Amino acid sequence: MQPRAFPIFLMIINLILVGLLTYQFYQSPPDSIPLEPFQTWGSIILLVIFYGMTTGVDFFVAIAVVMFLMCILWGEKRILVALSASLVTPILIFVLFDQVLQIRFPRGLLLDWYYG
Amino acid sequence: MLEAFQAMGSVVLDPFLLLLIFATTIIGVVIGVLPGIGATTGAALLLPFTLTMSPVHAITVLSTIYVSATFAGSITAILINTPGTSAAAATTFDGYPLAQRGEAGRALGIAVVSSTVGGIFSVIVLCIAAPMLARVAYHFRPPEYFALTLFGLSMLASISSGGAIKNLIGGVFGVWVSTIGAEPTTGIERFMFGNYDLYEGLSFVPVFIGLFAMSELLVQSKIANQLTSTIGMKAVKLPSREDYKRIWKTILRSCGIGTFIGILPAEGATVASMIGYAEARRWSKNKEEFGKGSIEGIAGAEAANNAATGGAMVPTMVLGIPGSGTTAIILVGLMVHGLRPGPYLFTEQVDKVYQIFGAMILANIMFLVMGLYAAKIFARISLVPISLLWPIVFAFAVVGSYSLSSALMDVWIVLIFGVIGFFARRHGFAVAPIAVGFILGEMVETNLQNSLKMFDGQWWMILTQPLAVLFLVLAVLGLCGPMIFDLLIRRQKHNGDSSNS
Repeated sequence: MQPRAFPIFLMIINLILVGLLTYQFYQSPPDSIPLEPFQTWGSIILLVIFYGMTTGVDFFVAIAVVMFLMCILWGEKRILVALSASLVTPILIFVLFDQVLQIRFPRGLLLDWYYG
Repeated sequence: MLEAFQAMGSVVLDPFLLLLIFATTIIGVVIGVLPGIGATTGAALLLPFTLTMSPVHAITVLSTIYVSATFAGSITAILINTPGTSAAAATTFDGYPLAQRGEAGRALGIAVVSSTVGGIFSVIVLCIAAPMLARVAYHFRPPEYFALTLFGLSMLASISSGGAIKNLIGGVFGVWVSTIGAEPTTGIERFMFGNYDLYEGLSFVPVFIGLFAMSELLVQSKIANQLTSTIGMKAVKLPSREDYKRIWKTILRSCGIGTFIGILPAEGATVASMIGYAEARRWSKNKEEFGKGSIEGIAGAEAANNAATGGAMVPTMVLGIPGSGTTAIILVGLMVHGLRPGPYLFTEQVDKVYQIFGAMILANIMFLVMGLYAAKIFARISLVPISLLWPIVFAFAVVGSYSLSSALMDVWIVLIFGVIGFFARRHGFAVAPIAVGFILGEMVETNLQNSLKMFDGQWWMILTQPLAVLFLVLAVLGLCGPMIFDLLIRRQKHNGDSSNS
């Protein structure tokens, strides 16, 4: 069997299944899906921001910033609580993984300073 | 057999393991009561932490999370009418109405006792059935394994959430995802687009964290501002003698149903609890009480969902085919720790297997104690605002996925599969079929290739193997049954609509 044969076979099966699903939808149209609130789209954008900040700035800075923005976006009105959660959590996670599990994290603005 | 009992008993003599089970039961119950985080997400998030542990300790952590979180879903189902896990959805039907009548403690007492009986019963069945099945599976060759994995995939059609076709599309997509990277026998690159980080294929853990945890985060963002209120209770009390008289038959029946449903590949606790509840209602003499606070309803759903946990471990450990989303993660845990799931596990590492079984029994006993004495405290945890909870889950998800192989690629995989999982769920596709398809993908392809090699490329020779034919027939039944059922229901609905108009 050629290496490409199996994935092609899978794609054909899925095309047939999509055809069956389309027929089902034609027979009884599904209910329309309501549009997601801005928190959901905002959270997806935050994931993109996280990618940009991790590659451009620092892994843990990115986690802290995204956590803080997510807390606010999801309706947390107590700024200080959100700020402390987004600072304390990454620090605790870093200490746990760095000291206990001996994991080396990718270098960035903050970790360059820490690792030296 | 004596060896097996000794191995199970040795769990009690390992103080570190006992402490681990105790701590993990607390974590599991917390995970179960926290909104949106179920056993699957919890196990996926905790998997990276188990890497430094011994295989027995690591699998004990994952299986303890499985049993305790499955039970704990009932705490919020009864007190705030929100199932902590999907497996506890049926518990809300009668648990919440009973709690509203001021009998929250009684409802929780029945839930915890039923769950414990169901959990322990299924582990006993696991201890008996797994070695027997392993003896049969010992003779399986590539054609039988190929047909068996097809049977496992076909069972995706009958998973409760999503329609049969949607589940199959998800399953086939999962198998396709498993083909990314170097082809297993020739090493030829597939769908890598020049990215050599993908040469060994996508790792299981980041894909699972993405599909379960990250997609759930995006789903939860929709209900970020929702408020919940809890029902107060004085204390959890054990069912009375009258209660036991009413529910013992229901518990026993649900134990059998849950264990059997759990054993079926790709089925899980959610399906088991729904069937357990429906059967409890069907056999009850007090049908009118159902939906208004029936103790038989609670017992039927809870005994079945916890019985499914042990049942689901049977195909996972003996055949390497996950019985549910959470057991798919336990399967990954077994592989990561060098315990190759399959019949050889029961001949080569029998002591480790029985230690894991022993730990599962202990976990069931521990959550009985916790459920009776600390449910009130755990219920308060469910009121943690999700605007704080899910950003913390996000941090654990990305750091945990990175820590597995210290590769940022794994973090990107989490994000990508989180978004894929979210949009899949938005359009009614469940993520569990994608995960099961992904985990079975390599098995399907490798066993198909080996079968073709065995028969010099003559694929039809697979049909000359009796066991393989049996599994293929079961696969066809698994595929066609729900589809025909679906079509009949739609046609009936369509006819009903047109006659109304």
